[in-house]
Amino acid sequence: MEPAEGLNSVALSRRQISNPLGVLVLVALAAIWEVLVRFSIADVQFLPAPTEIAKAAQAEIFGGELTGRLIHTVGVTALGWVSASVIGVALGLLLGMSQTVYRYSMTSFEVTRAIPPITFAPAALLIFGFSLKMELVLVIYGGIWPALINTIGGVRAIAPELRDVGTMLRLSPVDTVRKIVFPAALPAILIGLRLGLSLCLVLAVVAEMVGNPAGLGNGLIRARQALQPALMFVYVIAAGLLGVALNAGLRLAARTLVPGNSLTELSAS
Amino acid sequence: MKRIRLDSLPGLLPLLLLLSLWELTGDPESPFFPAPSSWSQALFTRGQGDKIVPAVIDTVRTFAFGLLGATILGVVLGLSVGVSRTFGRAFGPTFEFARALPPAAIVPVATLLLGFDETMKVVVVVLAALWPILLNTSSGVQELNPILLDTVRSLRLSRTRTLLGVLLPSVMPAIVLGVRVATPIALVITLLVEYLTAVNGVGALVGEAQRTFQPARVYALIVITGLLSLVVNAGVRHLENAVQRRRVGDAWM
Amino acid sequence: MGRSGVGKTTLLRVLAGLHPPMADLPNGDSVVRFGGQPVVGPPEGVSLVFQDYTSSLLPWRSVARNVELPLEGRLPKADCRIRVAEALELVGLADRSDAQPFELSGGMQQRVQLARALASRPDVLLMDEPFGALDALTKADLEDQLLEIFAATGTTVVFVTHDIEEAVYLSDRVLVLDGTPAQIVAEIPIESPRPRSQMHTRESPEFLRARHRVHEVIFGTR
Repeated sequence: MEPAEGLNSVALSRRQISNPLGVLVLVALAAIWEVLVRFSIADVQFLPAPTEIAKAAQAEIFGGELTGRLIHTVGVTALGWVSASVIGVALGLLLGMSQTVYRYSMTSFEVTRAIPPITFAPAALLIFGFSLKMELVLVIYGGIWPALINTIGGVRAIAPELRDVGTMLRLSPVDTVRKIVFPAALPAILIGLRLGLSLCLVLAVVAEMVGNPAGLGNGLIRARQALQPALMFVYVIAAGLLGVALNAGLRLAARTLVPGNSLTELSAS
Repeated sequence: MKRIRLDSLPGLLPLLLLLSLWELTGDPESPFFPAPSSWSQALFTRGQGDKIVPAVIDTVRTFAFGLLGATILGVVLGLSVGVSRTFGRAFGPTFEFARALPPAAIVPVATLLLGFDETMKVVVVVLAALWPILLNTSSGVQELNPILLDTVRSLRLSRTRTLLGVLLPSVMPAIVLGVRVATPIALVITLLVEYLTAVNGVGALVGEAQRTFQPARVYALIVITGLLSLVVNAGVRHLENAVQRRRVGDAWM
Repeated sequence: MGRSGVGKTTLLRVLAGLHPPMADLPNGDSVVRFGGQPVVGPPEGVSLVFQDYTSSLLPWRSVARNVELPLEGRLPKADCRIRVAEALELVGLADRSDAQPFELSGGMQQRVQLARALASRPDVLLMDEPFGALDALTKADLEDQLLEIFAATGTTVVFVTHDIEEAVYLSDRVLVLDGTPAQIVAEIPIESPRPRSQMHTRESPEFLRARHRVHEVIFGTR
């Protein structure tokens, strides 16, 4: 069983607080885009210019529904992620620590895990209809997996000597988890939580696009139906920025609550 | 291929129990939880059975082209970022920005700009799956053993030779790792695009079954996507092993 | 003492209560007894020091907090602090109590583990090749430190090693393990007087005699 491998989330630009060249390039590309659309050089129907997007953003934030929708998506993502993490970590600790439980259940988890959570969206829709429940169920279901798998991996990777120390000191099971297993597995658990947060956001947006008429996803669909491309871009960018903000927030929280560079400072952001 | 180990079989117990319980308490007519035995039949009701294989082919086609495009683009950009510090710094924020956009949210934009066709599907898949490949490739370049680079310089190899004969093969394991990470992403996004746009493929079938209130069919198709996912992932791992074996011989296994 | 792989570590783990013995005595009695009671799990009064100190110290706790681990919840806070200070004093790390394990050298980390084992004032200290991962000079230092601790606390020490010189230098009795399955093939009393010293003891006739004897047992009369 493999915990998260490979790079899927490393800062592309090396850790630099200011990157004037990069920002310049970004602005230049936006300017080129603007020119191409303004002067109809690019013959793509419905492509809005960056200035139009900015205008639509301003209108939507101050006069429209962006804030409300944003709060909805954030709320569902956060609630779903917290619930999923608690369930996933608890279950993960159990499966990681007890060889018996692991032996008699791990394969089931691996098989079910092969089915991507997003493919359960149609089933969730059938069962729960167009509701908040549908969105929440999908988010929680999806968010459990990274927490579960990474917790199991982290617990099972604990050096046997460390486990023996707990045995030698005759620690109670609760104390063993609290003082040895959980802190030792914490770096892996945090990775799982971080992956879970990204996944929860994606599932929330998808659920809002197809099931629950609320939030950023729904705003995007509405804009699409009204053939308002600039507004669509606003919602896409809003979703992207939300993802970045949530990830940064989590990293900050992890660094404050769990200090110690040997634990949380991984080169992956 | 992953050999099915006998000692992993007991782990199926909870799943089998769940399915049996479902079977006993489920009602084939239930709008929510039809019994598992009714699933396979549901695939063929109303003469829809012949749509399945073409749909699988459509999904696999989009997935394959999407992954291929993602690999080419990811490797080219990844090599550029890895080799040239300036390039990396210049385009870093742009890439970060593009990477942050959720693929699901890109779909409506893509249908608006590109229409409802195969090209649109592949473009979305490429945009979603290229990032792990890019990142792994660039980090593979950055982690190249400096001694190797010194060797190349002391042999005074030409630019092309260096690139094709030394650089690319050395970075190959990193690239393959990136492709492995990108594979499930590519498949999921393919299915997602199909579900959201109903262009073609298994995802479209699932959407259709859901909209026409055929829960047993939905579950059956979900199982098919699970199988598809297993096959695809096993295939990529096979590829990864093949590449590794060429480098290190059978000792690696 | 015995060769690598003969089963010394396994024996120690059985003594520590980490492994059950394979069988009981023919009359049903337990093979392993501590203080008259059969050993069915780690017994109260027995501490174990592992060879791999990196893996057995808690990297997220400071030195003092690591040493405190066996005492938490079992002694009032104030007593814990006193015991920790005593233990760190015994191993000579009183000034590093707030350091993190990764900041310390290998020898120091092993001393922290030793302090942790001593904090609970055990009757018996089991040590599994504790100095095996250290360089020769650090090893010599720690051997002497162990002898001082032994003199100061009077704790019984069961020390496992594959190093003949170390076994003879440190102990009062050397039990040689050999064969498949492993048996105690010899018990050699060590007559070197205490206190011992790296230079003088190792040149003394008693030491050389005992060393010769152990060599004979292990290698035959080569």
